[in-house]
Amino acid sequence: MSNDDILVRLRHLMKQSSQAKVDWDAVTADSTIASLGFDSLTILDLVYDIQQEFGVEFEAEKLAGVKTVGELIAFLRSCMGGTAGEKAAPRC
Amino acid sequence: MNSVPRRVVVTGMGLITPLGSDEETVWNAMMQKHCGIRRLTLVNPDDYKTPVGGEVDSKAIPAMLREAGVEPVGDRTVDLALASAGAALRSAGIGAGCGSSGPVPMPVIFGSGIGASHSMYHAFEAFFQKGVRGLRPTSVPRCMGNAISAQISIKFRLSGPNYVIVSACTSSTTAIGVSFRMVRDGYADCALCGGTDSVFDPFVYAGWNNLGVMSKNPDPLSACRPFDSRRDGCVLGEGAGALVIESLERAAARGARIRGEILGYGESSDASHITSPSVEGQVRAILDAMSSAGVAAGDIGFINAHGTATRANDECESKSITAALGPAAASVPTASSKSFFGHLLGAAGAVETIVTFLGLERGMMPPNLNLDEPDPGCNLCLARGEAVKLKSPVAMKNSFGFGGNNAVLILRGWEERK
Repeated sequence: MSNDDILVRLRHLMKQSSQAKVDWDAVTADSTIASLGFDSLTILDLVYDIQQEFGVEFEAEKLAGVKTVGELIAFLRSCMGGTAGEKAAPRC
Repeated sequence: MNSVPRRVVVTGMGLITPLGSDEETVWNAMMQKHCGIRRLTLVNPDDYKTPVGGEVDSKAIPAMLREAGVEPVGDRTVDLALASAGAALRSAGIGAGCGSSGPVPMPVIFGSGIGASHSMYHAFEAFFQKGVRGLRPTSVPRCMGNAISAQISIKFRLSGPNYVIVSACTSSTTAIGVSFRMVRDGYADCALCGGTDSVFDPFVYAGWNNLGVMSKNPDPLSACRPFDSRRDGCVLGEGAGALVIESLERAAARGARIRGEILGYGESSDASHITSPSVEGQVRAILDAMSSAGVAAGDIGFINAHGTATRANDECESKSITAALGPAAASVPTASSKSFFGHLLGAAGAVETIVTFLGLERGMMPPNLNLDEPDPGCNLCLARGEAVKLKSPVAMKNSFGFGGNNAVLILRGWEERK
């Protein structure tokens, strides 16, 4: 699965969880998570949806250091066992 | 609290129903005697004894929410409520987009018989499939009974109290009645009230399917036949209705368009059986409403009946109306809007109240559909065939529910009185 594939799936999940008015098609790897309208509650739903979608399990606290969508993608790749050549990210 | 009761008027209405999602579409469909009941698509109709029902057009929900400027919550019942609330506020010229910069101190009192049932269905499904860790973290705020009124309050920034009234099929009539009392007695100057329900998830609909009160007629257009000799049970529907009500003084001061007046409200409990209705309990609610409104039986020009098309309800309601109104009952045109939509459960009272106000504005009311041969046990002045021309601008709206709940509103078309 390419990073672009993950990005497309993340956009869909984020749109579902966020409830904020965001131009989701304009979200890129450089977009910050903080700009996407999540609060302490809706971020939990996003974590849940990511776990269901990608078949991974991790505690929500593991995302504390993740600031951008690109870092989230790298984190997910590490969870899925594909970290080679990726930017350093928190481990699952 | 005001020592002198205030007049309470309606200045905004919004609805989303199996017949349409705006007043004109719904009214015109009723005048043309269109029925909104179809073969079901939201659940597999082949799994159920009653394969027909009144479904809302699923495209209408996001369209109405876009128009209201709010994002969907993702629960069909709550989103229906949000859609109707947005339409009611817009028609009243209140809230976001209508010149308001901050929260509006307006109570939100909504009724629902079932609540956020689609979220509950998904939560149960996930739990039983995947266990504790399969449950969505936001299951509690999604499923809680007051999610409906809370989301309306949050999305539209209405900062009065918000809560949900749960009293089966009387839920939204009671929500309107309670709101009416709040405004009449000075606890609030205005309120957003109504009801919502969406029964078509596989679990909740299965419950109704197995209860034994539903029609087994597979023909969607003839299945729902209140007061008819060949009726064989109710047909369910989904939808939501919302009304903005306010004191006459407030409405006049802001130059609002007044759509009608709520004259009175009455309620009671049968205190006898969880599903079987009681004449005695219903009569008390009707008389309580008439007393609250200060009207006599002869003043009432139309009855929008509860009229579920079950054998027990229609006969019991007929006896109750006759007992409460006396000889006048024989000449008051009576019809059930459920023949057009199906039974919208917790939304029924609100949607049927809105339909009644639309009729009062126009001086006419829709008849009963499918009333080919009135049941001799339902000895009322039942409207058949064409629309009823009103002789009086006062109408009664009955709602009776499982649990022995009885709720009755007395409504009046708007005309300036001294």
